[in-house]
Amino acid sequence: MWGRALAGLVPGFFVSAGLIGLIGWSLPGPWQSALVGSIAGFFPLWTFVIAASFAFADARRAWLCWSVLAFASFAALALLRATALVA
Amino acid sequence: MKLKSVTLKTFTTLHTWVGLAAGLALFVAFYAGAITVFHHELRHWQAAGAADAPRGTLADMQRLLDAVLERHPAAREHVGMMFPGDEAPQPIAYWQDAQGAWLFATPANLDGSPQLPQAGLSELINELHYALGIPVAGIYVMGIVSLLYGLALISGVVIHLPQLAKDLFALRPGRNLKRYWQDAHNVIGVLSLPFHAMFAVTGALLCLMFLLMTALNPLIFDGKLMAALPAAMDTYPLREKAPAEAPLGTLAHWRGRAIAAAKAQGLADFEPAYLKLRLAGNASSEIEITGASPRSFAPLGAVALDASTGDVLRIQLPGARDANHATLGALYALHFGEYGNAVVRWLYFLLGLGGAFLFYSGNLLWIETRRKRRQEPQARGALVLARLTVGVCLGLCVAISAAFVAAPSGGERWTCFASWAACIAWAAWRRPIRAAQELLWLAAVLSAFVPVAHGIASGWWLWRSAAAGQGALLGVDLVALAMAATFGALAHATARRARDGDRHSVWAG
Repeated sequence: MWGRALAGLVPGFFVSAGLIGLIGWSLPGPWQSALVGSIAGFFPLWTFVIAASFAFADARRAWLCWSVLAFASFAALALLRATALVA
Repeated sequence: MKLKSVTLKTFTTLHTWVGLAAGLALFVAFYAGAITVFHHELRHWQAAGAADAPRGTLADMQRLLDAVLERHPAAREHVGMMFPGDEAPQPIAYWQDAQGAWLFATPANLDGSPQLPQAGLSELINELHYALGIPVAGIYVMGIVSLLYGLALISGVVIHLPQLAKDLFALRPGRNLKRYWQDAHNVIGVLSLPFHAMFAVTGALLCLMFLLMTALNPLIFDGKLMAALPAAMDTYPLREKAPAEAPLGTLAHWRGRAIAAAKAQGLADFEPAYLKLRLAGNASSEIEITGASPRSFAPLGAVALDASTGDVLRIQLPGARDANHATLGALYALHFGEYGNAVVRWLYFLLGLGGAFLFYSGNLLWIETRRKRRQEPQARGALVLARLTVGVCLGLCVAISAAFVAAPSGGERWTCFASWAACIAWAAWRRPIRAAQELLWLAAVLSAFVPVAHGIASGWWLWRSAAAGQGALLGVDLVALAMAATFGALAHATARRARDGDRHSVWAG
């Protein structure tokens, strides 16, 4: 239980942050104009990620999956911004 | 819906442990929160005799503003004021002194005091609601509790999914009492799920917003989040201080301009409730007037004016606001139940009490699930949880009723915490079933005494409030009597359990 809980708490936090970043930056207009919604969306998303961590068969898979997804979401955000597709 | 048994088992364990970790705190949050829904009425009720006094006028408010700005240089940087109205009959001004401490001034006290006048009881219950009454750290504790609550909701729905549709309206009284309690727990949990989901989200947000923003700022907002906040959350533009000075306009003028600006947006009944004024006396001084427009979702909106010329700088009103202000307004309105009419507030009150029952019954179900059916000595954990549940939950009911009794003559704060501590100690010492009965009777007696204490202290007896059409005063007294009857009925039921129930239980008499 604890291994999966920690997977939700630690890499899961970065997954949620990365996805919220992607949504916030991808919405029409600058990210500043959807600021409150982005912040408000974080906790429900993170809670779902933590709960979903317990659906993994073991802690190792949960850590692996969330770490890869976190890395991918931050990489996607960096790519979008580097190519000026979002502002 | 079918789920793998291993998934069900994991989510049951998760639900059990997050529920245990957060249940007692959530009981406090919901019981106190249900009462906080009526915080306006509570202030009115506690302000003994204020129902007789005439309501403050705009001229009183102007005199208060002038005096505060003259006496307190810190208030010239930033001062907030409440218009005299339903919440407070007299205008109030508040600002932070040079050390950052808040001061509150009224026409009767121009020097300012650190206490919001005549709000002892509603402030106390609000603090219990959002911080368990613990200074500084309490709000973060409640933020974490809100997150655990969100997890409990998700895991609760997952484990209940296989029978969700079939058992939705099942409430099976009968020989199997555990089944009955489980049904009650499930039906309240599922039917009020949207309400609970909303509180899990907004509660965590209100408690942990600044921690979260500090964490997200470098991660996804390039460190520019704090600079973007004022535009997202305030209405006035926060202009730079100008080198020149300029005289301030008058409250009557600002109020008129704000109402006119709202009317131009189609909001005919915009009613200013409070204001924020910054840089008073400077040529860049600006004022933000917030008010409610009934019959709109998220009714609070604001008009920002130049405080010298009275020109409209910005508006964020229902139907004319940006995404940030619309989201913020919706989150606030949803959490505080500040939309719709009195029916919404009564619904919040009842659902809040239902939530308190949810956490109480969750603890009882944990104890019942681990009951040893063939021996009288029960597991230590079950006994400890029984003592804690009785002491903390029923003790809180006693403490809040005691605070109501003490409130009309002051002293509600120490009364509340002292009686709560005494109840927890009592429950640690007595057999749980005895303690439960005694605390419930005590809560019943104290609640029944609330209208009496109020009548003695203020002269506003129940019948006088009724005759004078003082709905708030009458409402608080009547709810206290209804609560007294409810506590009495619960005490009676508990006595029956002690007499007739299974001896193989922590609840044996």
